Amino acid sequence: MNPATAVSVGTAKPRVLFVDDEPRVLTSLRMLFRGQYEIHCAQGGAQALELLRRQPVDVIVSDQRMPGMTGIELLRAARELNPAAMRILLTGYSDLNAIIGSINEGEIFRFVAKPWSNEDLTATVARAVAAARASLAVASARPDLPTSEMPASAGVLVLDDDPAVFAQIQAILGAGYRVHGATGLEQAVDVLARERVGVIISDTRVQDQPVVALIGTLKRHQPELVAVILTDRADAGAAIELINQGQIYRFITKPIREGHCKIAVHSALRQHQRLAQQPELHRRYEVEPAVEPPSASPVKGLLDRIRALRVWASGRA
Amino acid sequence: MKLRTILPVPFAGLAIGVLVFLLPRTQVDNELHLERLRRLQAVDVLDVQLNRLVSEARVSSLDSMTDAGTVITRKLGDALDALDHGPRSLRGLSPTLDRALATFIDSMDEKSALAYDFQARNVQLNDRLVQNLDSVPALIEALAAAAPAAQRETVRDLSSRLQTEVLTLGVTPSPSNMPQIAQLLDQLGAAVPKAPASYTEALTQLHGRLDQVLEDKNDLVGRLKDFLGRPTDRELRAVEQDYLDWHQGQVDTANRYRIGLASYAAALLLGLAWLGLRLRRSYRELDRANAGLLHANEHLEEQVEVRTRDLKRALDELRASQAQLIQSEKMASLGQMVAGIAHEINTPLGYVRSNAGIVRKTLTELRTLIAAQSRALRLLHDQHADEAEVAQALSIALAHQESLDPEPLTEDLDSLLGDAEHGLSQIGELVSGLKDFARVDRSRTDLYNLNEGLEAALKICHNQLKHRIEVVRAYGKLPDIECSPSQLNQVFLNLFTNAAQAIEGRGRIYVHTAAEADGVVVRVLDTGCGMSEEVRARIFEPFFTTKPVGQGTGLGLSIVYRIVEDHGGRIEVRSQPGKGSEFIVRLPLRQARPEAPATTSTAVAA
Repeated sequence: MNPATAVSVGTAKPRVLFVDDEPRVLTSLRMLFRGQYEIHCAQGGAQALELLRRQPVDVIVSDQRMPGMTGIELLRAARELNPAAMRILLTGYSDLNAIIGSINEGEIFRFVAKPWSNEDLTATVARAVAAARASLAVASARPDLPTSEMPASAGVLVLDDDPAVFAQIQAILGAGYRVHGATGLEQAVDVLARERVGVIISDTRVQDQPVVALIGTLKRHQPELVAVILTDRADAGAAIELINQGQIYRFITKPIREGHCKIAVHSALRQHQRLAQQPELHRRYEVEPAVEPPSASPVKGLLDRIRALRVWASGRA
Repeated sequence: MKLRTILPVPFAGLAIGVLVFLLPRTQVDNELHLERLRRLQAVDVLDVQLNRLVSEARVSSLDSMTDAGTVITRKLGDALDALDHGPRSLRGLSPTLDRALATFIDSMDEKSALAYDFQARNVQLNDRLVQNLDSVPALIEALAAAAPAAQRETVRDLSSRLQTEVLTLGVTPSPSNMPQIAQLLDQLGAAVPKAPASYTEALTQLHGRLDQVLEDKNDLVGRLKDFLGRPTDRELRAVEQDYLDWHQGQVDTANRYRIGLASYAAALLLGLAWLGLRLRRSYRELDRANAGLLHANEHLEEQVEVRTRDLKRALDELRASQAQLIQSEKMASLGQMVAGIAHEINTPLGYVRSNAGIVRKTLTELRTLIAAQSRALRLLHDQHADEAEVAQALSIALAHQESLDPEPLTEDLDSLLGDAEHGLSQIGELVSGLKDFARVDRSRTDLYNLNEGLEAALKICHNQLKHRIEVVRAYGKLPDIECSPSQLNQVFLNLFTNAAQAIEGRGRIYVHTAAEADGVVVRVLDTGCGMSEEVRARIFEPFFTTKPVGQGTGLGLSIVYRIVEDHGGRIEVRSQPGKGSEFIVRLPLRQARPEAPATTSTAVAA
């Protein structure tokens, strides 16, 4: 069995690349997806990149802990090489740094834990394939817009318990940006109802409520909204949840570093502009179907309010 | 210290210098001032005397006037000299004064010249005046004689009045003299109508004489007026005023300096007072320190005891926190280990689970195929079956078979199940490795073969080593030793982890064991980066780490050291930078009976 030779040309089937240093994982995945996709396998990062150089794929599913090259390193390189491919990390255990790296550098679609459930993995890969196919035309273009273009038409919402964070970010971003502040979910939704917001910068929890449900619902309702997490309470579980259910764009840890923060917000605003202009891309940032919170939950009412929000994006209005 | 001793000398010098500078400036030479005033006074007196002399010159005798004039003029010259020259003069004190003095002296010079001139003229004119006056009575007599007898009395009367007037003019002239004389002359002329020629001639002669007398007198009076009109007095006042102004300025300056001197003296006094206070205070401190020393000497014993108690408490706290730190280091390495093992377990678990799912799904498909085939078979055996029905069942069964392709499929299933078995056995191995490593099912001290321990540790750090590091084992036949297996396994795991971290990229770890006369020896060699002599010397110190902040607490090897020490063993390290390191652990066969636990704990604490 040599997975690298399995390159067929001319089939209309979507191409999926699996990368894992354990060949039995590859065997299992190949069997699982047999018949649905054109499957390529690689036992390491170098081999995977070699494969990508020869032929682009629609979806890459990679392990994190591999000798030679970690999954994040691979996905970062793959993003350069094959920007249209959707990236999924499939791993048994990852420390927080690895997860943050996968968000910020790999811009991954999903984070799937080992042992995986075949149904969930199948559904995730199917969603990724659909997104890749839907955005094939536009996603291949390099995401970098000309830097001279100032993407400041949309506002930035800072959601944090500590009002100082809002002031600090306002100071960092300067006068060229419209920055709004909120110290609670309710207030955040008020701002969203009133202002045109392109980027939301939020802590993982606000007033002891996780923001993941809010961000997920927002993403579903306004796919062009871009979320950036800014927190000092980083934990691996929450980060994974945020990527899978909130499609957060960047994950920054406090204390706030000025340059770092500015770059992240600037690039988030560009991403927002890109999403607003090209609705085909929305599926690439689709979040997992939400688990509806119990109707008694205070969040429930908020989420309903979000669904009633006005849609600002010019392409969809 | 040296600077502090030298510093007061320039300070004292400076203080005295300031005094020397200030003191003379506060003095005003009063004696000189009075002397200068006296000189001014002298000039003034002389000036007045000269004036008086000249004014009186008309009446005094010519000789005496000349003598007195010479004396006064000489004195005046000396006095002016005294004003103008020499250190006690008024010259060079201030520009205003100099100017006033120059004006005054010029005026005085002119005045002296005028005085001489006047004197000379006076002698001359007086001579003529006396001569003329002497001739007047004769002329009047002649006039009276020439007058006709009728008017002789009138003429005599007028003549005698004229003579009186002329005499008065000569001696003490008054403003009315001259017009009076002129009037009398006119009256004399008018007194004799149709005067004889002798009378007219005599009158003309008298008239001529008197005109000359008047002229001379006028000349003298004019000169005197000119002399007296010289403004020396005013100028002298101006000089005096300027001098007094200058002197007042001097006095003011001196007063200012005096105030400065007083302030300076006050400051010096304050400084002295401060120094005195300081001195007193340092003496007091010295006294106190002395007293303290005495007291300390007396209470030394007591203090030693207190200190010892404090130290003992600190030591206890240190021990407690050390234990805490060791615990947290254990937890940290446990966390890393768990992370690795979780990945190790989750990977096989992942494909085992997936494979099971695939097998189950495939079984469903196979069941459908089997059902179709069974139905076809049954229909084939059934005599009453409809031809068409049989054909349809067969074609369905065939279609199923074609789509499933059971032969390779079952091979695949076999392989999937084989993988699953492999995965499960791997998980089992990991779990038993964990158990071996932790030795939770054994007592704390046990007879243990260290080769087992090394294997258990290697299994635990397998995921750190695999693909990258080759482990070369050279196990000798070892006797079981009395030890705490879980602690020694931790030692080995620590040594392997360190070795793996020392190796950048690919490398080897050699594990060598051997029996020795009274124990066993374990060597762990790596082909890593090695360490310098300085690092090697400190490698077992708590908190010493060469790893970046956050990656190591620097406690790992100090824990290793402590465990080996606690077992009565020894650990050594050899290293060559760039080549690798070797850790050598020697352990005794049997543990010393814990008869003196205190000694071991002090050894560790030291």
